[in-house]
Amino acid sequence: MTEPVRASRLERLWSLLLAPRDIAALVAFRMALGLLITVSSIRFLAYGWVDVLFTRPRFHFTYWGFDWVPALPAPWMHAVFAALGVLGVCLTAGLFYRVTTVLLFVAFSYVQLVDVSNYLNHYYLVSLLLGLLIFVPAHRAFSLDAWRKPALRSETLPAWCTLLLRFQVTVVYVFAGLAKLTTDWLLHAQPLNIWLAARTSMPFVGPLLEERWVAYAAAWSGFLFDTTIAAFLLSRRLRPFAYVVVVGFHAATSVLFPIGMFPFIMVTAALVFFDSSWPRRIAARLRGGARAEHVEPPPAPAMHVPGWKAQAALGVALAYALLQVAMPLRTHLYGGNVLWHEQGMRFSWRVMAREKNGSVTFIVIQSATGREWHVSPGEYLTRLQEREMSVQPDLILQLARHIARDFDARGLGPVQVRADARVSLNGRAAQLLVDPDVDLAREVDGLGAKRWILPAPDSPPIRLRPTLRAQAH
Amino acid sequence: MDHLTPSPFAARRPRAFLLLAALAFVSGCKGSDKKETPGPGEPNPSDTARVALLKATGACVEKTARQFQTASVALSEAVSRYATQPDAANQAQARAAFHEAMDVWQVAEVMQVGPAAPRSAAGGAEIRDNVYSWPLVSRCTVEEQVVSKSYEAESFATSLVSRRGLYALEYLLFHEDASTACQGTSPIVAQGTWAALSADERAARKRAYAAVVAKDVSQRAAQLVKAWAADQDNFVQTLETAGSGNRVFPTNQAALNSVSDAMFYFEREGKDLKLARPLGLRDCSTESCPEHLESQFAHRSKANLRANLKGFRMLAEGCGEGYSGTGFDDLLVASGAEPLVQKMRERLAGVEDALGRIEEADLKDALAADKASVRALHDAFKGVTDVLKTEMVTVLDLELPQSVEGDND
Repeated sequence: MTEPVRASRLERLWSLLLAPRDIAALVAFRMALGLLITVSSIRFLAYGWVDVLFTRPRFHFTYWGFDWVPALPAPWMHAVFAALGVLGVCLTAGLFYRVTTVLLFVAFSYVQLVDVSNYLNHYYLVSLLLGLLIFVPAHRAFSLDAWRKPALRSETLPAWCTLLLRFQVTVVYVFAGLAKLTTDWLLHAQPLNIWLAARTSMPFVGPLLEERWVAYAAAWSGFLFDTTIAAFLLSRRLRPFAYVVVVGFHAATSVLFPIGMFPFIMVTAALVFFDSSWPRRIAARLRGGARAEHVEPPPAPAMHVPGWKAQAALGVALAYALLQVAMPLRTHLYGGNVLWHEQGMRFSWRVMAREKNGSVTFIVIQSATGREWHVSPGEYLTRLQEREMSVQPDLILQLARHIARDFDARGLGPVQVRADARVSLNGRAAQLLVDPDVDLAREVDGLGAKRWILPAPDSPPIRLRPTLRAQAH
Repeated sequence: MDHLTPSPFAARRPRAFLLLAALAFVSGCKGSDKKETPGPGEPNPSDTARVALLKATGACVEKTARQFQTASVALSEAVSRYATQPDAANQAQARAAFHEAMDVWQVAEVMQVGPAAPRSAAGGAEIRDNVYSWPLVSRCTVEEQVVSKSYEAESFATSLVSRRGLYALEYLLFHEDASTACQGTSPIVAQGTWAALSADERAARKRAYAAVVAKDVSQRAAQLVKAWAADQDNFVQTLETAGSGNRVFPTNQAALNSVSDAMFYFEREGKDLKLARPLGLRDCSTESCPEHLESQFAHRSKANLRANLKGFRMLAEGCGEGYSGTGFDDLLVASGAEPLVQKMRERLAGVEDALGRIEEADLKDALAADKASVRALHDAFKGVTDVLKTEMVTVLDLELPQSVEGDND
């Protein structure tokens, strides 16, 4: 009797990645994401946010390396959002899927790249998910494409499609949780203490929100939720319960905080953890049938290591995964408190980790004469931009350099530009964020540590008073 | 225990349970079950502090509006007398009435909440701009009206705000120079109609125009009072009852934001426009720009700032005598931010002190004789606005207007 041939680790990996899985879950995810994008676009147009955020500002903050991305004027930026809405419908319907996903990724990412001050974690996540969907053929069933082209139809997709999306969502949750592993969050319950104390007029739960223990409980539960929920969602037995918690958690945050589409996006994203046939089972139940349609998986492919193209694709996927892990960790190369110096803050899933407000005045000094001007950011920025800029050193730098160029253009240069930037982090007394003696007009942005950022405050954050009622007891 | 008598914790438990469930509490919180929570209709202490502040703010704004109405009626009467009997005594009375009205209005400038605020703001009805549109003003426009006599038209009350209000009145009552600020492109210069007016005719038209403007201002003042009065449009109640079911302020946080937005006048108009520009720190090509001072004709720029400070302190500390009563300081104390209250008080006192150190009657003289004292006043203003924009906004979780969604990252 001959020994069965043992598969190598690599073969087992390929077998796992290429194993056929029901397409239904990814189709549902595709449809939900498309709808979310459409709804989000409609909200931007209906609420006038396209004007507020994109066409009204006279100055746009750019991402490092992306200063070539232009901001389109009024009618065109509206057109981009209208196109996003239409493309969202196309994604939902599975129409022209490849073109749609590429266009969606490009357009959605373009909108994010126009102005750094509009950066939101959840829109970054949508960009990433769209980027991944380009490679996931989630249009092979329940789509107009499959209806138009029968040859395209397939009831299954390889497992890597789901695994990639699960990895992405896991990264978001885990790093959002690790970002809360701070003394401010866990020992001082800040900034939740500030936020919850301001929401005491909420019906029903309002009276509880001023209790300090509620802030602590919310802080700890938020930390535990974020760090563990992906593991629970991965567990087949616990998944339904975990998803109920996901929905409850994000519903609560949606009610408590003005975070727009974030809860909806996360509730949708968490669907990728479910068993690949869950939509069929639900559909069957809705039809009154006792059993779901059963998709007979095709025979597992023979264990073998595929060709170089597949291996290259695996390499790219691994590189992407490493990048996703490295991005949130990069802040440790800078040291210090990322919530203060913000180096490595973006793309690191530090969601709702800080309450920060600043007041910045730029002091412009004409080199030749010593003449001094005070420039308020409001002369160049909208109030929303000003709020974001005033607590983020790289944006302060960008505006300082823009002011220098502006003074040059007006024939007043060359000038030095210094910033009097006072910032309060989680209710601490405001202190200087950047060295007021540094000429920011001569500083260049880059990935290196910014020496002109002053150290973070070492005092504890403000500790808001517990209820007066509690004191009386 | 009678089964009909609810347990003292009965009302608390469902709320606590829901909150715990909603926030996915993993850890239990049994140790906190000792205290009672008020019932659904009963305000909690922190909420009480917020409601008390909104109530006090509403009362303060209404009181100021009533004071301005009284002053504006007196102003209108004095200007009318002056228009019909243009003697020195009536002129002096009209000017004195203007100063008294402006003293009150500059207090109200910092209180642009609700009806006084722009239409883009919650409850905004733009009444402020109709009373005093500065810095949206144009001396030339007023002079063109003097020539065209369009102030006699019935539609004058709906004409551009730069043709009406306290700025126009200040010009008409205080500026006696025969020159015009209009450029050659203006018809009154190009056609020579301004130069063609005799001094007497021009003065007569200014008086008549002033009477119309003063009457319009008093009517706007009445509008403002009507908007706030409890027995009329009752915006006092709108502010006080902010929260669920309130169409203007769906939360009391939104109402507080509205009040704090008004207080930002201290920075935008106060520090940046009224001080930084004349000081030459912005929008000025020379060492200083006294032509950017707010009050060009009555020379009361310093008095205006003193009144702005008074208005700010009334909201920040209390509207009563010596700034007693409920203000933002009480809410901050209730929140446990006493050091911030202390810092704010010290900095406000610093502004008072800096104003007191300016010996000259007005900033125009001070800019010429002792510019450093005006700069010190500017820096004192900045001391207050820095606290306002950083710690106060943070501790009370106030938002800037026009906020859109975020995830606080």
